[in-house]
Amino acid sequence: MQGTLDLMILRTLATLGARHSYAIATRLEQVSGELLKVNQGTLYPALVRLEENGWIKGSWGKTETNREAKYYAITRAGLRALNEETERWRQMSGVVDKLLEEG
Amino acid sequence: MMRALLMRMMAKVRNLGRGRRADEEVEREIALHVALLEEEYQRQGMPPEEAHTAARRKLGGVEQAKQAHRDQRSWMWLEQTRQDVRQAFRTFARNPGFAVVAVATLAAGIGVNTTIFTAYNAVALKPLPVADPGRVVRLERWFVHGWLGDMQYGFSWQEYEYCREHEDVFSDLVATSWPVKVLAVLPGEMNAAQQKTLQAQMVSGNYFRSFGVGTRLGRTFGPDEDGAAGANPVVVLSYAFWQREMHSDTGVVGSLIKINGKEFSVVGVAPQEFTGTSLLPRVPDFWVPVSMQAQIVPGEDWLHEPADQRFQILGRVKPGIGLKAAGAETVGLIEQFSKTFVTRDSTRTVTLERTAFFGNTDDPRFEAGVAALMLIVAMVLFVAGANVANMLLARGATRQREIGVRLALGASRSRVVRQLVTESVLLSVMGGAAGLGLAIVASRLLRVGVAQILTAQLGGDFAFSLNLNPDARVLTYAVVLSVLAGVVFGLSPALQCTRPELATSLRDESMAFGRKLRWSHLRSLLIGGQVAVSMLLLTCSGLLVRGLMRAQYADPGFETRRVFLLLADYGDDHATAVARFQRLVTRLEAVPGPASAAYGRGPMMGTWSPPMIVKRTGAVEGEQRERALASYASENYLHTLGIALLRGRDFTRQESATGAHVAVISESAVRRFWPGEDPLGKRFTLDLHFDGKLTDFEVVGMAKDVRFTNLTRVDPAHVYLAPDPALQYPILIDVGANQEAALAAVWKTVKDSDANLMPDMALWNMETMLVHPQRTLARVMAMFALGLALLAVSLAGVGIYGVMAYVVSQRTKEIGVQMALGARAGDVLRSVALWGLRPVVVGMAAGLGCGAAASAVLHSTLAFPGSSDFLYGVRFYDPWTFAGITCFLVGVSMVASLVPAVRAVRVDPMVALRYE
Repeated sequence: MQGTLDLMILRTLATLGARHSYAIATRLEQVSGELLKVNQGTLYPALVRLEENGWIKGSWGKTETNREAKYYAITRAGLRALNEETERWRQMSGVVDKLLEEG
Repeated sequence: MMRALLMRMMAKVRNLGRGRRADEEVEREIALHVALLEEEYQRQGMPPEEAHTAARRKLGGVEQAKQAHRDQRSWMWLEQTRQDVRQAFRTFARNPGFAVVAVATLAAGIGVNTTIFTAYNAVALKPLPVADPGRVVRLERWFVHGWLGDMQYGFSWQEYEYCREHEDVFSDLVATSWPVKVLAVLPGEMNAAQQKTLQAQMVSGNYFRSFGVGTRLGRTFGPDEDGAAGANPVVVLSYAFWQREMHSDTGVVGSLIKINGKEFSVVGVAPQEFTGTSLLPRVPDFWVPVSMQAQIVPGEDWLHEPADQRFQILGRVKPGIGLKAAGAETVGLIEQFSKTFVTRDSTRTVTLERTAFFGNTDDPRFEAGVAALMLIVAMVLFVAGANVANMLLARGATRQREIGVRLALGASRSRVVRQLVTESVLLSVMGGAAGLGLAIVASRLLRVGVAQILTAQLGGDFAFSLNLNPDARVLTYAVVLSVLAGVVFGLSPALQCTRPELATSLRDESMAFGRKLRWSHLRSLLIGGQVAVSMLLLTCSGLLVRGLMRAQYADPGFETRRVFLLLADYGDDHATAVARFQRLVTRLEAVPGPASAAYGRGPMMGTWSPPMIVKRTGAVEGEQRERALASYASENYLHTLGIALLRGRDFTRQESATGAHVAVISESAVRRFWPGEDPLGKRFTLDLHFDGKLTDFEVVGMAKDVRFTNLTRVDPAHVYLAPDPALQYPILIDVGANQEAALAAVWKTVKDSDANLMPDMALWNMETMLVHPQRTLARVMAMFALGLALLAVSLAGVGIYGVMAYVVSQRTKEIGVQMALGARAGDVLRSVALWGLRPVVVGMAAGLGCGAAASAVLHSTLAFPGSSDFLYGVRFYDPWTFAGITCFLVGVSMVASLVPAVRAVRVDPMVALRYE
């Protein structure tokens, strides 16, 4: 579910502000609990994709422990995309819910 | 969304160049990720070692993550293609023999195709050498009777003027005549004896300006120079003529040329690239304003008769106006014109034709010819491609282990297929490049050949305007063809080689051993198809070559060396034309030099077969519809041509002069109409003018069978009729022993009797002008057919050899075991060779069938008595050709499959057993 992962990353960055990849991974795990048990490596292609779309922007900075890390921040285009995608997701899940209930 | 897509593309383009830096960055990112995870685990109380492993596990394979990152980052396929191409070149370098043979094979196939396309392009697709040719159209008339040909482009001058005045869809409308022959004396040779026959083209005053054609020297015509009749004796020379006859003299402007006795001044020379707008590949010698028509064609008036269709009309469609709208307007105008001015009009409609170099490219006959030729060369490409496919298959099999390893290490099947297809496309693109080179050379040769044929047929010096240089269209064609060939012939071997079960080849070292000999379906299909196509090409060309060889010795059956044809234009006015013709004939008959003179239809100059009804007598009485070739012939005609009269009598002078309804018929006609009977006194009727009015003829004589209509076959039935006195005919002159004196006497007679005939008059020797070109054409066709067939056969031979060599090498071990166990070499050899020939035999049978079918089609065209028989009477199932070619191809296949088999048998069993 490529789109879902993208959506979750965007949401995370929109809520928390600029974060590096580890923080994003941790956050996703926290939120989903045991439901989302993916290799954290899959995060990287998604980050590239989003950055290429111009939805997030990465820049190098320092962590609290003074380590070099790449911080990703959501861009304005990213926020717009997040809204659109969220809307679409809602519609979609609404339709799926309805279908499943009627089933 | 669109914008995101665009952003991503740009990012990818940016990323193309920075692979290494991006790699480093992601490495640092991942390192941090691992480190932070590790810390987290240690905080949770894990021992450091365990924390390290757990962190890495959590991330799920650092290398895969990096690869996934890399894949996401830039265009995978581009990156991979680069890898594939490098890999392919390494593979070729390891086995250069394979690469060379494959490239050469494809070069031959693509080269032949590109050559034919180059010719087609030059003839039908290249635009006229004028400014913005895309908007220039030629008006084409369609007749109620469905006549096709050059006359479809004929319009009268009045029609042209009418259209020009009333239309508003063209920015320019131009009229030009067909090339006209004139007698001219060039500047500096004002001696009337040195006159030359030149080709003139009359054009409207706006001709050069409308086409945006400048000049090399001087000026072109002004728009009003086609105004007052006879007022503007000026000419513009063509570059080719200026170079050939004027030796590129820059002082030529202002000099005088005497044309038909009147002086014209040279006002300019056209630029080199302007080769005219003719329908034939011939550059006119000069252009002259239409207003000079009376001087260029003395004694005729082409400008004031609304039904006299002497001019072609070309138009430049106004910008912003569609072809359809322009066409509709033109149809309306021509209809309006014919309603007003023409009493009997046979025009169905008028269309606007895209101007190509050659007119009539929409003629179905032309299109059928092109399609047939394209089909033939496509078959050669198929054979070449099948060859390469087979070689790839064989190689794929020897590379099974390499492929197996790659698949086992996790390369996806599509990835491996793509790599293999990249290799084949690379091969075919290299083949295409070489093929393009071949095509360029071949089209040069073709140009020389065509120019020779045309010179033989049209005669004299002239500039040949066909431009066979490759252009963007030819280039595109070659590239598309190469890539297509690479994909089509590379894909199925690639799929075959990467079949999932082949992955087991890693484990099964001796997979080839002991399994039943079996052809792969694809491979046998390819070999069979290849052999079938070669067989088809070979039979067709074998029949053609055999037939065309006969052309070199075919005897027309009548005298051609001593007989000259005098062709002249006696003008359009009916009464004067007949008088002029009769006067000339009477004078020529009286000339003492020539042995004999007569008039009638010119042999080998087209056909005439009016509907015929034969009146049978005797056992099967009644009327019978028939078809026969017919010719008018004066009383001395058969004698002049040396066609023996076998029975009865020739026409009398009286019958010939009055057009009595009597006929001399050929032996074949007698055999066909009244077999076993005496033809004298028999009767038949002809519908001479195709209008339902029947004319009754009585047979008075029987003549020997000859090849009268064309050299290819004895006329199936021919009737010679006493000439219609209302018509004019070619005059036949037997010059006897002293040719030069006789010809001089003929020229003098014409000059004395009717000097106005001279410009447009031709005196043709029948051997050189009519018989020889047919032999030349036959020779060229035979060479072409033979070349094509040899190409196909050598390709198929190489193909069979390649496949057999591969198959046998796969079985070297098995053969070694058989030999070690005491099998006799002969037995092993036989089994291998026979087995190898199986698909060959099937393909051969299929090819024979197709060849016979093609031959039958070719023969079915002979139902019409006047059509040419390119086989010159070779029977369509000609046993010699078919048997010979079968033996030949069997021989080629035997050698191709035996050579590798013999090599395998000779191998020392011990070596073979260890062979891997």
